[in-house]
Amino acid sequence: MKIFTITLAATLSLCASAAMAQQAAPAGNIENGKKHFNSDGCWQCHGTLGNGANLTGPKLANTELPFEAFLMQLRQPSNDMPPYEAKIVSDQTVADIYAYMKSLPKSPDAKSLPLLTGMGVK
Amino acid sequence: MGKKTSDQAGLDRRGFLTGVAVAGGAGLSGPAQAQSNPAQAQPAPAPAARPKAPLPTAAQTAAENEHPPHMEALTTEKTGSDFMVDVCKTLNIDFLASCPGSTFRALQESFINYGQNKKPEWLTCLHEEVSVGMAHGYAKVAGKPMAAMLHGTVGTQHAAMGIYNAYCDRVPMILFTASAGPVEDRRPGVEWMHSVQDGAATVRDFVKWDDYPWSLQSFAESTVRGYALACAEPPGPILITADGKLQESELSKQEEAKLRIPKLTRGTQTVGDPAALKEAAKMLVAAENPVITVDRYARSQQGVDDLVKLAELLQAPVVDKQSRMNFPSQHYLYQNARGGALVGQADCILALEPVDLFGQLNRVRDQIERTWRRTSKPNAKVISLSTHDLLMKANYQDFQRYSAADLAITADAQATMPYLIEAVEREIGDRKSMFTARGQKMRDAFKAFAARAHADGALGWDSSPISGARMFAELWNQVKNEDWAFMTPNNYSGNWQHRLWPIEKHYQYIGSSGGSGVGYEPVAALGAALAHREIGGRLPIAIIGDGNFNMAPSVMWTAAHHKIPFLAIIQNNRAYHQEVMHIQRMANRHNRGVTSGVIGTEITDPNIDYAGLAKSYGAVGIGPISDPKELGEAIRKGVAAVKAGNPVLIDVVMQPRG
Repeated sequence: MKIFTITLAATLSLCASAAMAQQAAPAGNIENGKKHFNSDGCWQCHGTLGNGANLTGPKLANTELPFEAFLMQLRQPSNDMPPYEAKIVSDQTVADIYAYMKSLPKSPDAKSLPLLTGMGVK
Repeated sequence: MGKKTSDQAGLDRRGFLTGVAVAGGAGLSGPAQAQSNPAQAQPAPAPAARPKAPLPTAAQTAAENEHPPHMEALTTEKTGSDFMVDVCKTLNIDFLASCPGSTFRALQESFINYGQNKKPEWLTCLHEEVSVGMAHGYAKVAGKPMAAMLHGTVGTQHAAMGIYNAYCDRVPMILFTASAGPVEDRRPGVEWMHSVQDGAATVRDFVKWDDYPWSLQSFAESTVRGYALACAEPPGPILITADGKLQESELSKQEEAKLRIPKLTRGTQTVGDPAALKEAAKMLVAAENPVITVDRYARSQQGVDDLVKLAELLQAPVVDKQSRMNFPSQHYLYQNARGGALVGQADCILALEPVDLFGQLNRVRDQIERTWRRTSKPNAKVISLSTHDLLMKANYQDFQRYSAADLAITADAQATMPYLIEAVEREIGDRKSMFTARGQKMRDAFKAFAARAHADGALGWDSSPISGARMFAELWNQVKNEDWAFMTPNNYSGNWQHRLWPIEKHYQYIGSSGGSGVGYEPVAALGAALAHREIGGRLPIAIIGDGNFNMAPSVMWTAAHHKIPFLAIIQNNRAYHQEVMHIQRMANRHNRGVTSGVIGTEITDPNIDYAGLAKSYGAVGIGPISDPKELGEAIRKGVAAVKAGNPVLIDVVMQPRG
């Protein structure tokens, strides 16, 4: 119960701060974000278009994560993700990468891809 | 025909000289022997009578050594190696793969001439790792071992990683190596380099058994014993060293008449203790959230069908670790997509042939501080049904971290499964409907997995490099009406095979390498394709990483030479990408810049022309394909070429992780 309480409090705190921060997401330079996404190792686990990959990294394209949560995951990863400290990737660069991810075109609706949905799994 | 055998030849001149030398030596050492054994001390004998034949001069001796006398038998009709072939023929071995090596020259000649190159047929490989890897993949499809012949010392060293993969993967194979024989018979130079006192020492830590027989009778018994041991669960490679002298020495009719080849008897497999199975059934039926985890379990369709029956009886989800094809990917109880959560919520876990039970129940973080935590409930009951503890050695650590089950049943899981099903049926009795609600939850969850897989598959649909989902979709479109079979694991392919394709038959997926030794994919695919060719009517498919392929590109030549058709799709991310990520992790951890992790791990500048490479080996080569819109047509052409009997390689430039 104690663990649950702490977890809940932490979650609520994160959500609250994330919601506040979402409104104040810094403006990002999409071109610079693209450059860093492709040079700083992001693509290795998340795919060259932020499409994600099983086992290595989730989808980042059109991410719905608030910027603050995005930033926090880089600074203090909650899992096995390598940390990106401000010393090597500044907050502004993270904002640029975030802007690039947000700018990527949305994926097509799977229902419009009979080649995909026509495979064995229904 | 008219030549004398050694038994008939009597004392030729060489034999006479040897006899004289021995007699002389004995005469000289006589007093010393007498001193060393006082009880037998005698007065010094009178000088021995001079031999009637005069001793040869130094010049005569030199001439003797350099120019054998015309009476010496220079040819023979039957050798020890012929008998070795006779032994192998009793074992019904269909193929023997080998890269040439002089230490087994007599055996090779015996197999191809005396044995008429049938059962086994000699297959030419261009590296010993290919020979062993072929045997690895072949056994997983054929359900029986093939053989590989390894050159003494250097060949065994080349083969070592492939043998380790097979050992870790618990796959049977019959390996032979050789040594040049007694020191006085060896030619100076290379024969010494390729001679060894203990030919198996290089690989003893990861073969199930080995022997260096010193007689032909011993060779027969050891080879038959080895075959039986290799196949007994848990299976593994065995290694026999064929002595060069035994191979090349003449085998007289008298000697041959004394030899006996023992009958091969395959032992029955170990089955779980009935009392333990009854206890396991009670625990499973009583559980609210049972989970079945399965790893190196099914070796045939029967194993798959039995597991389906057990899972349906309990309406329990199955989490497949995929070392084998264990469970149909289309079955609603195939719940890999939420495997971690299910294990975390389970109150009873049945682990079938787990390779890493600790890893199934715990998690270790890859950060500077290696913390670990149990991901399953502390009070969850764990039942293991496994042969894991029946084959374990100390040095190489493939046994994984120790993790105790609450009920550990040491037995072959597939052989035991019918008895476990019986025990569960008895325990359930007439309460079969009690798990209906649980089953409905599983059906609902499964539907969501499909929707999720389709949504994930749409990501980067038109991207270049090509996404894994797109590649597998284009591939499906071309082979959906064929009897296809994957021959490579999917851990580097985004798991799309299992997420999107209906993998229902045991032969449609053969699992992973075992030891994670890079290079498994092309070589195992070659052997698996051979087995599929023998069965007939199948379309074998290998998804091979470019790094993996570069370890053994010559598989395409062996496939072309021996007419082994298969479709190889190079998942070309132009890197050893697993290592790219590792170096990136270190760069991040050390805070010294994050842009150089590709140094030493990328395979670019220049890019490799894999299609050209395949063509140079005599196979069909297509690509590179970077535009997803061109992929369907490339695969269509490739499939047509495979169906025409060709090995085909399609180079597809793909996303780093599928």
